[in-house]
Amino acid sequence: MLTLTSPVEIWAHRVPAGGKLVALAVATTGLFALSSPGPLALALIATLCLYLTAGLRFARDGLRQLYPLWPFLLVVGLWHLWTRDLDSGLVVLQRMVTAVALANFVTMTTRLADMIAVFQRLAQPFERLGLSPRRVALAFALVIRFIPVMLDRLAQIDASWRARSPRRPRWRVMVPATLAALDDADRVAEALRARGGAG
Amino acid sequence: MSDRFSGIEIQSASVRLGGRLVLDGLNLTLSEARIGILGRNGSGKSTLLRLLAGLIAPDAGRVLVDGANPFTDRKAALSALGILFQNPDHQILFPTVEEELAFGLTQQGIGRGEAASRVAALLAEEGRLHWAKAAVSTLSQGQRHYLCLLSVLLMQPRTILLDEPLAGLDLPTQARLSRRFAALPQRLVTITHDPAVLADADRVLWLDAGRIVADGSPDAVLPTFTAEMARIGAQDADADLAG
Amino acid sequence: MERNLTHIALFAALIAVLGLVPKIDLAGGVPITAQSLGIMLCGTVLGARRGALAVLLFLALVAAGLPLLSGGRGGFGVFAGPSVGFLVGFPVAAFVTGWVMQRTTLSPGLSAWAASTIGGIGVLYVFGIVGIALMTGVSIQEASLGAALSFLPGDVVKTVIAGLVTQSLSRMRPASLLSRA
Repeated sequence: MLTLTSPVEIWAHRVPAGGKLVALAVATTGLFALSSPGPLALALIATLCLYLTAGLRFARDGLRQLYPLWPFLLVVGLWHLWTRDLDSGLVVLQRMVTAVALANFVTMTTRLADMIAVFQRLAQPFERLGLSPRRVALAFALVIRFIPVMLDRLAQIDASWRARSPRRPRWRVMVPATLAALDDADRVAEALRARGGAG
Repeated sequence: MSDRFSGIEIQSASVRLGGRLVLDGLNLTLSEARIGILGRNGSGKSTLLRLLAGLIAPDAGRVLVDGANPFTDRKAALSALGILFQNPDHQILFPTVEEELAFGLTQQGIGRGEAASRVAALLAEEGRLHWAKAAVSTLSQGQRHYLCLLSVLLMQPRTILLDEPLAGLDLPTQARLSRRFAALPQRLVTITHDPAVLADADRVLWLDAGRIVADGSPDAVLPTFTAEMARIGAQDADADLAG
Repeated sequence: MERNLTHIALFAALIAVLGLVPKIDLAGGVPITAQSLGIMLCGTVLGARRGALAVLLFLALVAAGLPLLSGGRGGFGVFAGPSVGFLVGFPVAAFVTGWVMQRTTLSPGLSAWAASTIGGIGVLYVFGIVGIALMTGVSIQEASLGAALSFLPGDVVKTVIAGLVTQSLSRMRPASLLSRA
């Protein structure tokens, strides 16, 4: 399963995940405290520089990650043009791009295993309710394990529909797909129990 | 209609999946009544079935079923070919027997009333009229296989593709299904890894790593296949990864 | 209990898979993204608690950097963007959907449809619209209009499908509806 972690290794990959997340939280709060275009523009430039410390290839990847935002940027831009409130329009756009870019930076420089470890630590206060670190790791692993299995199965169900109908599959395919998820859950539970339980 | 070739033609067809060459330049004309495609798991059998059925398109070459391209002309494909997949639970889409049976018919454009009466007629013929309103969940595994077969038969295809039809079934169910298959008037193409299933075929094709390595009567192909499987099985390791 | 864990994990995988497949032609000729349908089904099939946990697990995986949101999106960026309201609302929507499902005594199909509408549209849209307004500075009215025009038709169809699927599940295998166990 491919993650969004960048294969281009940079200095930030070595910074502990927890630290990066705290920094992100602080930075994002700071961004939302600012309310004028000037300081926000500085923040945006600073973020751009942050990406550039990692090299052009990394920065280009980062830019690509921002692409899905374009419809929102367009709509927000047009709306604020329409209400003739260009200043707050600029604030919103800069803030949005900077916040997302910073968050993406953390994602691109943190490995999945480290993220899971962070989640395990975050789950500690809930250990009484059943959220042990072992269970958290197991839950993550199970989802990642079964995504390809389910994709395969959806393809099979799709094939069996197309074997009897010239039209594209309708909602019905969700029924065997959901049943399969339930069956798999039962079988995996048995397998878990046979190997010592979920702890 | 009668001068059009009835059968399956594959002309220099290749299929690539995820960059890997799964089927390599196959040239076949299949017109016999009972055809078997034999191969190990991973030989490309399932891909070949999907290619014949028109569920995937070849990356090179072409496939013709009764003169039509099964991938682009789905309607023609559906009346020419029926498919029985391995796992009934991946095929059954409806909660009750009669709904499941009627599906293919209504998708072919037959009205609900007409479809319902055809379903009833077939069930009566099979001595299973009492199945009509039954929930699929109450059927045993063998009965579910049977239900899938009946769904295919109702669409009256000229050829039926069978994917590992006896896999995982107990012996009595295997015997019953085999008997039923043998009695079918349609052309049958059986895809399997088990040579015993193909003992009565008219023609057996051995598929290995995407190529046909043997093609002839069961007497000619099966013993060589069995010997080779034994030889491979006598070796210890299966350590090579596909990636 | 292991079964709880595996049900939660497998349904989180189901939500992910529904974002990974191309838009399914779920009704009429209109292609829609099926991921939010998965959220509704978590509620109608698993019930409130397990349904919400499945969605939370899914979001945790997205946050951890897996591109599981429809369109191949993922990472922390999606939580910093304009649709964060909807993301936060997803587990709440699943919970409310499950809660309504567990409490009504109508047929499974009707209950599922009602539950999905209340949770998957009612509750979810409140979170989503507030989120859009906060993040983009657009007024609540404008955000509501935008959401209604772009998402509402597809989501209404999904609530109907959730009802149909849940009904079908209950007929095919009555024990499968854990929300009604």
